[in-house]
Amino acid sequence: MRRDDVRFAAAARDDGIHKISKFTWRAGAAGVACSALIAVAFGHHVATNQSSTDNNGGSSHSQQPAAGNNGGGSNQGSSSQGSSNQGNGGIVVPAQPPASSQGGGQVTSGAS
Amino acid sequence: MTTLAVGTDSFSVFGTTATLLVSDPGLLDDARAIADAELAAVDMACSRFRPDSELSRLNGSGGAVVPVSSLFAELVEAALRAARLTDGDVDPTCGQALEEIGYDRDFAVLQAAGARSPLSAPVTLGVPGWRCVRLDRKRGLVQLTDGAQLDLGATAKAWAADRCASLIAAATESGVLVSLGGDIAVAGPPPADRGEGRGGGWGVRVTDDHAAGPEAPGQTVTIRSGGLATSSTTVRTWAVAGQRVHHIIDPATGRPAVSCWRTVSVTAGSCVDANTASTAAIIRSEAALAWLQEACLPSRLVRQDGTVETTAGWPSDPGPA
Repeated sequence: MRRDDVRFAAAARDDGIHKISKFTWRAGAAGVACSALIAVAFGHHVATNQSSTDNNGGSSHSQQPAAGNNGGGSNQGSSSQGSSNQGNGGIVVPAQPPASSQGGGQVTSGAS
Repeated sequence: MTTLAVGTDSFSVFGTTATLLVSDPGLLDDARAIADAELAAVDMACSRFRPDSELSRLNGSGGAVVPVSSLFAELVEAALRAARLTDGDVDPTCGQALEEIGYDRDFAVLQAAGARSPLSAPVTLGVPGWRCVRLDRKRGLVQLTDGAQLDLGATAKAWAADRCASLIAAATESGVLVSLGGDIAVAGPPPADRGEGRGGGWGVRVTDDHAAGPEAPGQTVTIRSGGLATSSTTVRTWAVAGQRVHHIIDPATGRPAVSCWRTVSVTAGSCVDANTASTAAIIRSEAALAWLQEACLPSRLVRQDGTVETTAGWPSDPGPA
């Protein structure tokens, strides 16, 4: 092989490596950008879902309503005199237990 | 001691009896108007026996996503909350199970019709489950999957009692008690003193049947806030092929619950919470005693033989019911 051919081949090789390297960097940068976008979108999705759950609704991204277990946390329109709020925590205990009384009572509580 | 006058009104609603008490008798008409409007709206939303109700429309939707009113969404939400708080023991997807045992029409009509045909064999064991109910409060959408059929009977009446009491107290600034078939909600300032050593608060006779008189076997207590509800297997029963059945469905079997308790009364921060706990207690049977105690819910549980157990500060009972 002649010396010029070697030089030409080496130059062509270096040029190829440079192009591949340049392409690789660009592909890598694009990948990082895509990943960042996906992460942001996912974070937004999770935040929206969490917000919907807290407000007893479904995901705003879905065409379907949220499943039943997203239904908690309501203000039940109660007399709101319990000892705590009527949210997700559990069955709300009364502010005070019933007191013993005499006589027949003003109303009757039984099954209907 | 002074016995305070209380305005009282009774009327029929949801196939049962409603009683309205207000501490200022002059406000009774206003209170009744508020209750009538609210109860009519609830009935229109979630009656299983009205073909034009939102509930009937949803149950007939074949699993489609159905737009619903804000009120109906709230009622569904309350039912889902009850299911979640009881690990599914109070499940709103009992509609099909109730129909299978013959409860497919208004209860008065059901009773008049006499004995129903034998129980059909259950297609599947248990009910579809509350997780088959998809609710989107923001967009006002509900979807039933897996063939689920809703019945909001376990929570809607108590929820409506809470709602009426809250609205009336806010509008009239009067103390109010709303009883819908024995599911009781109170709001506003309670009566200060009922005289004759009865102390303050609203006097409630706790017994098996809400339609029983004030001297029926049971116990009288006073409550000052929140709600009191009673669930029982002795009322709302009917005959199916010679067998008595009742309306409290055990979601695990899809059949009327078999319980060591005949009647359970619970007080809680609201009527819907009290009713959630009393219904779950019937279904949980013996395990309910520890559950109610741990949840700090004052309760009175009556065994099938009349023996009474109490939890969490419920006042002592004078004897067997």
